[in-house]
Amino acid sequence: MSRKSFRLGRWFAALLAFSCMVALLYQLVYDNRPKGDVRTVENYTPWEPETLKIAETIPIQSGGRVKPLSTEAGFQMLELHGARAMKLIGKDGREIKIGPLEWMLDALFRPHLAVHQPTFRVDNSDALNAIGVKSRSKRDRYSYADLEKGREKLVELAQTYEPIETKKRDPVQSQIVDLAYKMRAYESLLGYFGFARFPIVLHGSGVGNEPDKTTDFSAVMATAPILREQIKKSQHAGSPLVPRLQKLLEQMLDGANFAKFGLFSIPPFEPKERIWQSAGNVIMNVMTAETGHTDQAIKIIHQLEKTARSQDISEAAFRKELAALRDDLKQRAEARGEYRFVPIEAAYYEINWFLYALVFFLLGTISAFAMWTCGRTRLGNVMAYATGGLTLLGVGYCIVAIVKRCIIMQRPPVGNLYDTIIFIATTAILFAFIVEWLTRQRFALGIAPVIGAFLIVLARRYELGDAKDHMDPLVAVLDSNYWLTTHVITITLGYSAGLLSAFLAASYILIRGLRLIDNEQAIRRGLTRAVYGTICLTLFLSLVGTVLGGIWANDSWGRFWGWDPKENGALMIVIWTLAILHARLGGIIKEWGIHLAAVFTAVIVVFSWWHVNFLGVGLHNYGFTAGKDAIWWFYGIIGLFLVYGFIAWGMDVSRKSKPRVQSSHEADEAIRIPS
Amino acid sequence: MDSSEISPSPERAKTQPSIGKKIFDFLSGFHLATALLLILGLLTWLATLEQIDQGLYATLNKYFNWKSVIIVPEIKGKMVPLPLLSGYWVGAILLVNLILGGVIRIRKGWKHAGNLISHFGIIFMLIAGGVAHHFEQRGNMAIGEGEASNAAEDYFEFVVEVSEIKEGKPESIQVIRGNYLTDLNDGKSRTFPLGDVPFQIEIGGYLKNAVPVSEVERAPDRKQPIADGYYLMEKKGEVNAENNMAACYVRIVQKDGSKSPLFILAGASFHPFTYVQDGRTFTLDMRKRLWPMPFTLRLDEFTADFHPGTMKPEKFVSEVTRIENQHEAKVTIQMNEPMRYEGLTFFQASYGPPGAGPGQSMYSVFEVVKNPADQWPKYSLYIVAFGMAVTFLTKLGLYLNSSIHKSRHVP
Repeated sequence: MSRKSFRLGRWFAALLAFSCMVALLYQLVYDNRPKGDVRTVENYTPWEPETLKIAETIPIQSGGRVKPLSTEAGFQMLELHGARAMKLIGKDGREIKIGPLEWMLDALFRPHLAVHQPTFRVDNSDALNAIGVKSRSKRDRYSYADLEKGREKLVELAQTYEPIETKKRDPVQSQIVDLAYKMRAYESLLGYFGFARFPIVLHGSGVGNEPDKTTDFSAVMATAPILREQIKKSQHAGSPLVPRLQKLLEQMLDGANFAKFGLFSIPPFEPKERIWQSAGNVIMNVMTAETGHTDQAIKIIHQLEKTARSQDISEAAFRKELAALRDDLKQRAEARGEYRFVPIEAAYYEINWFLYALVFFLLGTISAFAMWTCGRTRLGNVMAYATGGLTLLGVGYCIVAIVKRCIIMQRPPVGNLYDTIIFIATTAILFAFIVEWLTRQRFALGIAPVIGAFLIVLARRYELGDAKDHMDPLVAVLDSNYWLTTHVITITLGYSAGLLSAFLAASYILIRGLRLIDNEQAIRRGLTRAVYGTICLTLFLSLVGTVLGGIWANDSWGRFWGWDPKENGALMIVIWTLAILHARLGGIIKEWGIHLAAVFTAVIVVFSWWHVNFLGVGLHNYGFTAGKDAIWWFYGIIGLFLVYGFIAWGMDVSRKSKPRVQSSHEADEAIRIPS
Repeated sequence: MDSSEISPSPERAKTQPSIGKKIFDFLSGFHLATALLLILGLLTWLATLEQIDQGLYATLNKYFNWKSVIIVPEIKGKMVPLPLLSGYWVGAILLVNLILGGVIRIRKGWKHAGNLISHFGIIFMLIAGGVAHHFEQRGNMAIGEGEASNAAEDYFEFVVEVSEIKEGKPESIQVIRGNYLTDLNDGKSRTFPLGDVPFQIEIGGYLKNAVPVSEVERAPDRKQPIADGYYLMEKKGEVNAENNMAACYVRIVQKDGSKSPLFILAGASFHPFTYVQDGRTFTLDMRKRLWPMPFTLRLDEFTADFHPGTMKPEKFVSEVTRIENQHEAKVTIQMNEPMRYEGLTFFQASYGPPGAGPGQSMYSVFEVVKNPADQWPKYSLYIVAFGMAVTFLTKLGLYLNSSIHKSRHVP
């Protein structure tokens, strides 16, 4: 190979790597950038950090578990707004960035400001045209005030489209149904403290020209037995209720209904009860005598009223009442043994662990490129240490985050798809370090941060698309720490090893195609050994994991093997890796063949890991759709890469068939797999 | 591992190998193993996609039943012009290949001990799969709270039951199994003697999924026979094959050869057909096969717990009493904790009625399985895992040893 073409190849590789880096960096910036244009919200002032600190540890029940308010706020904002941050222009024209907790507190306690925030992400503006709301670009964000005038039409259309099967709805119909649900969810937050903001008017209580007097919901709740007696008497007498009593009850009912769904933040008073109450439930339970804990119920509703009203006085006053409310709820939750992990979880979400990990992986990736470029020089050695150090820092963040998640969830690290991504990112890097320790070629070392960056971006994209709390409890059949520890972890480790082998093989094909290692037999041999070893590891982990899964299925569903798509996917990994090993042993494939086959392993791993979830059949079908399009992109990229690999292989064979000028060009056969 | 792991005999290599040797080499070779593995992988992938439209039961019957030899895949209703050997036979040839190549021909020695052990484990696993395929029985048993049952119902097999009613109860029940019925279509019929019953029955026009339809409501479109104003309208097979409702046409055949008018027996019917002869009352019914159990199971209490405030299931627990020879034993059956007893396994499968309120009586559905190879996969896993661990540790040890050796020789 001429020196000129070698240099060109290096530049091309560097350019390609740089493009990938830019794509990842763009993704990182895009994910963290507040979405939509910056809106002006008159008189908006940000919440003070001390207030947020108190609010974040308010316990609530959602998704079947008790969690901090900050977690709930994060996922609600992600679902409605499509991001965890929003920029506003507030009082005095200042630009303010608000996070989930501020957004949630605004909706609950300052709805007059919240309705002007661009809360709703609308991906299809045709839906807005259909409900008579002026749209801007195809995808944009709108405030509740923007959408309010089309609300009636939205509800009407949503009711028409809802009976249509989800798969058969067109994009506009889907957007309308989705938007209707989101508006309803947001309204339940906006109206939650309506009972505290709008006290009950006692009609006919004003003397002369004086306005009618008002009273609190908690005060009326204290008179519930008398009110019930009055209703009973009217019913016995067959006469209608006194109008002022009728109006009072109507106001109670309205207030309770508005506060029925927003937040389930009140622990049940009965120790045996498991479902937490909303303020609306508590009010209605007292009014209908369904609770024997009237005093406690009134006390907590009174505290909610005081908290909501104190917001009009000053933030300091609000903070004081909010702290009292938090302490009361905390005490009740603690008495039930349900508060233990709330502060840990709140602290977990204070730090964006995976964002930090991603930053280190990206720095590690840059360092790795420098390491490869410099070769075995002194600077190259420095860059190798830098790559290792930065990647270890990144993986350290991942490990701490995963351990914290395990403590909070009280289960092994992998239970849902989000878990698998971060676990695979971490373990693939650790495997890469082991491979590096064994081969010392600096390839696995350089690949490690690339895999980490790629998978962490994937995790963030998945979280954004799914917008569901990934720490929620598991369904009954998965609720087995023994099997989650054995089968699920083993099979996920198999995915890690499979992806690592594919990444290593891809790097081989890339640099071999660019003729960068034609003369580097040791590197070629080392890479081939590494790929072969990781394929063996993939086989071992996938086979053991698959059979463990079969044993679990035999205990859960009564059959060892059910040809469920998820099971089939795992079996395909086993069969494919077995085929590679047998093909190698039989001499059917050699160096190039192993690498090309290993790259294809990525397709099979992704089919098993992701794609089967979208097929809509089987016991492992969890019904999510986030990331569906990305799969086809991935298959396409791998396909193109394989085409490139086959062309490069063909060119390599063609070169070797010509008269040789350099004896150091070894044939594939010369490179032996360690036996 | 290297390509010389299967050791050809050096003496024989010099001479022309015999046909027997050639066959042995082919059947035990890596080329065949690789090809079979690739076909098996392809079949698994195609079956995964095909089950979306065709349903699991139909797909498995097509891809992995011993009766099907060559299959042509069909994706999204379109045929893929790629005839393939079916999974059962690929597995069978793979088993032969594994025994000949992975056990007999493989190079022996402590370096290869791990591979040999793993191959034994996989052979055991394939045999377990074969035993389960041929001998496993499955059914389900639904029991209401406070009720008891001693029979499970097959998921797929429809049978014809003929019972004599004495004192209001069915007695001397004659059962015609499904394998005698499923081929009775396209004008084919079969007459069945029924032991003490004073007549025989002739069955034909069997359909695996059909519903009786009144000719007044909808005229027959394929010249179907009419029986008492009704005919059988064939339906497309259900994606969930257990929802299929078989049906057939029947005539009573007297000893003198005379035949009654045609009537219909259908799985979808709510009541059996009643026939009276010589003062004796008989019922004829088509239903899913009942599978008698060697003991009775009583459901004492069923609990369905959901994660608070959600419809996400947390725990399903059936408290049952197993009654056998007047002896009672209390057992708890729940997710991941089945009851294994006398070769039968009872799994918590389902419950009902859906959305039952507090205090409402519930029923629990158990999946009942009899599989002689029930625990074999577990044992095979231990063997395979041990063998692979030995292999990898051996390789790693050799690799590290050679690395140390090399580094010592670096000047």
